[in-house]
This record gives sequence, C-alpha cells and structure tokens, in this order.
Amino acid sequence: MRNLILTSSLFFLLVSSCSNPYKNLAKSEYSINEIQKIPYALPYSEQTIIYKTDIRFYKNDISGLLIIKKTEEGIYRIALTTQFGLKIFDFELNQGNLNVKYCIEYLNKKIILNTFETDFNLLLMQMDFESLTSYNNQLESQKVWQLKSGKLNYNYIQNINSDKIENIQFKKRNSEKISVGLHSYQGDIPENITLQHHNIKLKMNLKLIQ
Amino acid sequence: MTKILSTILSLLIFSCIIYAQDKNFKEVKDIDKAQLDLAKLSENTNSIQSTFIQEKHLSFLTENIISKGEFYFQSPNKLRWEYSDPFEYIIVFNDKNILIKDENKLSTFDTESNKMFSEINNMMIGSIQGSLFTDSERFNVKYYENTSQYLLELDPKLPEMKSMIKTINIYIDKSDISVSSIKMIESSDDYTSINFINRKMNQPIDNEKFNLNK
Repeated sequence: MRNLILTSSLFFLLVSSCSNPYKNLAKSEYSINEIQKIPYALPYSEQTIIYKTDIRFYKNDISGLLIIKKTEEGIYRIALTTQFGLKIFDFELNQGNLNVKYCIEYLNKKIILNTFETDFNLLLMQMDFESLTSYNNQLESQKVWQLKSGKLNYNYIQNINSDKIENIQFKKRNSEKISVGLHSYQGDIPENITLQHHNIKLKMNLKLIQ
Repeated sequence: MTKILSTILSLLIFSCIIYAQDKNFKEVKDIDKAQLDLAKLSENTNSIQSTFIQEKHLSFLTENIISKGEFYFQSPNKLRWEYSDPFEYIIVFNDKNILIKDENKLSTFDTESNKMFSEINNMMIGSIQGSLFTDSERFNVKYYENTSQYLLELDPKLPEMKSMIKTINIYIDKSDISVSSIKMIESSDDYTSINFINRKMNQPIDNEKFNLNK
C-alpha cells in the first residue's frame, strides 16, 4: 500500500511536471496554414538581412557577418563570413532542410550541421509541425503561439503591448532545449538576437547591421 | 533628374573602366623585368597607411556587401585593420601577437595557436610586401600587365589553403610599385576584393597604432 502511494505520487509529480504549463489559459486553435497569423516578420522579409555575429561553441569563438536572404518561398540562403570576407559557411535552408553549399572543414560535421539546422529552423520558423494553438496569458501580457510536433513544442511568445515576438522556446517533453531572445526591434526586424542551447555549450549573439 | 543622370553616367563610365582594366591585361612577356620591378615592392614598402574599401560578392545577392576602414602596415610584421563602417572591429598583428577589439571587447591570441588568423596575416603582409608571389612552394604565380598595372594571379598549392581560396589576384600600380587592390576568389567564385585608396607610403606611423587597450 505504501509502495502504491509512493508510486502514484511519483507518477502524479511526473505527469504534472510534464503537462502543458499553458493549459489553464484561454486558447484558440488554428489550422497549420494560418501560421502567418503569428506576428513574426523575420521569415517573410525580402530584404538581405545582415547580423554581426558571435558564436561561442564550447571553447571556440567564431565571429563574423551572418547574411540571411530569402530567395524563394520557403527557401533561404544563410552564410557566415569573417570580417575579412572569407566564407565560414554557406547554407541553403529549403523547406526546413539544411543543404551545405560550403562549410569550413572544422564545422563540417553532421552533429554540428544538425544543430545549425535546428537553430535556423527555429529562427526562421521553418520546422514541420502538426498543430498551432495560441494561449493568452493576460497576467504576463503575453500571447504564446505554440507549434507542436509529437513531443516537440515550439513556443513563439508575443508581447501583447509591443505586438512583437520577444522570445522563442524549443522544448522536448517540456524540457527547454533552446531559448531565443529577440530585442530592440527596428521596424519588423529584431536588432539583437541571442540564441542559447541548454543541453550543449552553444550560444549565438546577433546584432543587426543591415 | 540631372543629378540622377550624372550618377548613372559616372557609374557606367566607372564600370566600363573596371571592365576595360580586367580585359586589357596581357600576359607579361619579359618576366625578368617584371620581377625586377616587383622586387622594388618590398624594398619600397617600409610603411603604408591607407583607407580601404572591402567588397564581398556572394552569388545569391544582387548587391555586394561593402565595409570600410583604415589600414596600417609597418615593415616587417605589424599590421592594423580598422573597420569602421558598417561595424567597428579592429585587428592588429604585432609580431606573433594578434589583438582584436570587437566593439568594447578586447581579445588576444598568438599566431601559433590560431592557424586561420596566422594564415590571413601571412597572406596580407605577403601580398602587400611582395613575399607571397616569390613563394613558389605555396603558390603558382602568373604575371599579367596593362599600361598602368601589374596583375599577379596566385593559385594556392597547399590543400588546406586551396579549400578556402581558388585564386588571389594582386593589382600593383606601375607608377609607384604599390598594391592598389587584392581580390580573393573562393572555389565557388564568390570573392572579396579590397581596394586601397589614398595610400600614403613610408610615412611614420605611431607605434601605438599596433597596440590595443581596453
């Protein structure tokens, strides 16, 4: 009996910690074609966007210019060059799949490329997902746009006062894997972006220069 | 309207000049004479101060990315690149030390621990001082000329360099045997070109330029 109580309380703890933290909030369901309702302009910009970028990857520091260009619907070129101009990588993100056009040898490893694929999909909202729900969190002045795909959650958190997406979270079974902060919007484009992984030592700082 | 027309016209003339410049280069016949001329490059170049304009061409962009700044070189091995537009970034090579000031963050490395920077340093100093095109172990060199310039085409031989750069073109003014621009072409044909304008040769440079403080 004691064991049963212990097991069930453990089970209860487990279930409650894994449950959706937004479940008590007013929610609206959308079809996946309505993704453009999320007020996030970065993926739709036709401009060439250039960020001065610092990437800290374990003990490596990589710094340069990150160039993002939407070339067609759902297709992006993402290149990082050093300040001197030499390319570090040049990727095509095509419907969420990362194709390597060029990558400097020490970064050209499957595990690193997969990480970049996840990061840029998150930043440009290109991942596959099965459902789209929004939750109104009046208390925090937030509207959370949640894209779900199986055990994976992608939350685009809108500040209701500024109407901008100010945080992005990538969660697997409700444990946060990546968080992104987007600050100081210049029109529709955030001037500062910080992207931080929680399970590996990887952090990116982006500062808009064009 | 007149202003727009004159801008378009001058742009056209300018691009024609550049086009003509590239087209009129012919292979140098008297290589001995050219080498003798070019040897003056290292003899003549004790120091350089210059404004630079860097253009990055990426095939998927319609416009090149342009950055600008100031460049300082003191023989034999001090170099300062100071980018001021559209971002602030200073890199100083002083003997074996590399100092980087990125906005307000100062970092230091040594060339032995950072292969990539060391390679960039060698390439830059070697290009402007002439040691690169006599380095037959690392480069195949082709000599071209027109009435006003020499063009040296350097193809790297070493695999690690080859994977980054297909060709380095160095343009040298005949009038004073000084480097006026460098173009680094990658295997994808994307390139970076650096033009040195308002070059001041062999004038004293404050040693503090090759030091960076917080």
